[in-house]
Amino acid sequence: MTAHVDAGAPVRRLLAASWAVTGFQLGRLLTWPRLAMAAVGAVFPAAVMLAVRRAAHGPLPPDLAVVTLYALIPEAICMLGLLVTMCPAVADELERGTWPHVATRPRGRRALLLGSWLAAVIWTGTVAIVATLLALTVVDVGRPVVVGCVFVALTALSCAGRGALFALPAVILPKRALVASVGLALVGECLAGTIPAVVNQGTVSLRLRSLLVHWLGWRDKVPAEMQLFIDPQPPAVHLAAVAILVTVLLTAAVVILERRQFPPGDEL
Amino acid sequence: MISLDHATKLYGTVIGVNDVTVDMAVGMHGLVGPNGAGKTTFLGLVTGQLRPTLGRVRVFGEAPFGNPRVLRRIGYCPVADLLDRTTTPLHWVTYLVRLAGFGGREAATRAERALDRMGLAAAARRPLFTLSKGMRQRAKLAGAIAHDPDLLVLDEPFNGLDPIGRHELVEFVRSWSSSRSLIVASHLLHEVESLDAGLAVILGGRLVASGTAAEIRGLIDTLPGEVRVRCAEPRRFAELACRLEGVAGVRVSDDLVVVTTRRPVAFVEEATTLAFESGVRLREIAAADRSLEGVFGHLVRLHRGAVT
Repeated sequence: MTAHVDAGAPVRRLLAASWAVTGFQLGRLLTWPRLAMAAVGAVFPAAVMLAVRRAAHGPLPPDLAVVTLYALIPEAICMLGLLVTMCPAVADELERGTWPHVATRPRGRRALLLGSWLAAVIWTGTVAIVATLLALTVVDVGRPVVVGCVFVALTALSCAGRGALFALPAVILPKRALVASVGLALVGECLAGTIPAVVNQGTVSLRLRSLLVHWLGWRDKVPAEMQLFIDPQPPAVHLAAVAILVTVLLTAAVVILERRQFPPGDEL
Repeated sequence: MISLDHATKLYGTVIGVNDVTVDMAVGMHGLVGPNGAGKTTFLGLVTGQLRPTLGRVRVFGEAPFGNPRVLRRIGYCPVADLLDRTTTPLHWVTYLVRLAGFGGREAATRAERALDRMGLAAAARRPLFTLSKGMRQRAKLAGAIAHDPDLLVLDEPFNGLDPIGRHELVEFVRSWSSSRSLIVASHLLHEVESLDAGLAVILGGRLVASGTAAEIRGLIDTLPGEVRVRCAEPRRFAELACRLEGVAGVRVSDDLVVVTTRRPVAFVEEATTLAFESGVRLREIAAADRSLEGVFGHLVRLHRGAVT
């Protein structure tokens, strides 16, 4: 019998395998069509802000510009980026005929999911950060360095949280993951996130809005009726909430994927 | 090594594998059956991709589904072609070895060695889409062996290979199975027969026969077969043939007599003697097909209800 290397340190081996998947998935994303799509995503917020400035015959007030950029980058760009990178995590393997190769590796399924999630976060996060930098060169936001740092942090949280959220449709409905994820984004994030009740506590969007308000010191500037849409708790609570959400969602997705069985006809 | 105990796999109301009980010891095994017989489902159960709906599957003494201890000892080459065509064989195999738990440098070394062994060293850095189907098949095989598994499972490994490639694969499989275990699934019986492997015949999800090639060949004597006889007096020969033991039916057409008998081998000998003694001159007498292909074909017809 052969000596096998991963008899011990299963967690370390899982992380190494997940990292291998991340590298492989990022390599798959490095194609001209994908790069062109990423470039469009990176330029889009700056283009929109220029168009708005032109339509308004002048620059937007800095705070309004920040809110607009927030809607465009950590919300729209991150969501769209994750939809095209995270949703096909399993479907791509089935279509490319690579699923049996991955599923027959020790811990291959969970490495695939975790690695794909990390790749989606890195790819989308990079696009969103480049979009932020480009947008800040054409928009007056008052404190560009502070706003830039806040947006980088919000982008990271948005990608991690939404990526984990889209992991669920990716493993439950691989072939309809995109449609299911759009529905989940609209209902779970956009709708539930704006309902001022317990339900919005489980959404990433509430955490992001609250952190934006806190980190930019807007607590007193927010109109009374808008206070309903943010959570006044300290940033550490929001960061912990996102971390818990990511952990719970990814764990659930891993558990589901570990139990998924795809009949031979589902491949290709 | 592999044990299926009344294993059944259902896909909703469709049966993939139906109440299969089999023990496969360490060594080389061939799994043969027509398309849609359940071979890939059988291999899916063995390689831990599928869980039996009923019954039990054990590989190396443990349930393989989601079991890293078992999976790290299995190398699987699936039937599906690699459609991830922008990557290179070296990149792909290195990736698979890393997924098997090896570090980056070690994985690259093993991948190069495996590709070299499969005769793909020169094309290791070419994108998969520039390779022929046979070369992609070799890349898949390299991915299956690079992490040094104890059990290699190959699903239709001869697909896309030219005659030289087939010969090389047969040689590789023989050298592999001298020290490790192997299962080869194919719908082409002669390919598996050429490997001198233990055989299991699967049809409609059921294991209908298993054993060595000689044991399966012995089925010929127990299964009804046809004997075709050409002679100058076919009606007279038909009359004589009906007297012999085991004859189930006789058809006459021009100078041809087709006899269905449960003892085709014995019938040939007895009918020849009887015809000689009766003065009936035989021009040609051909017994049932004795090749494994013949048995296989008969089992298929039997399963489909074409013969009884």
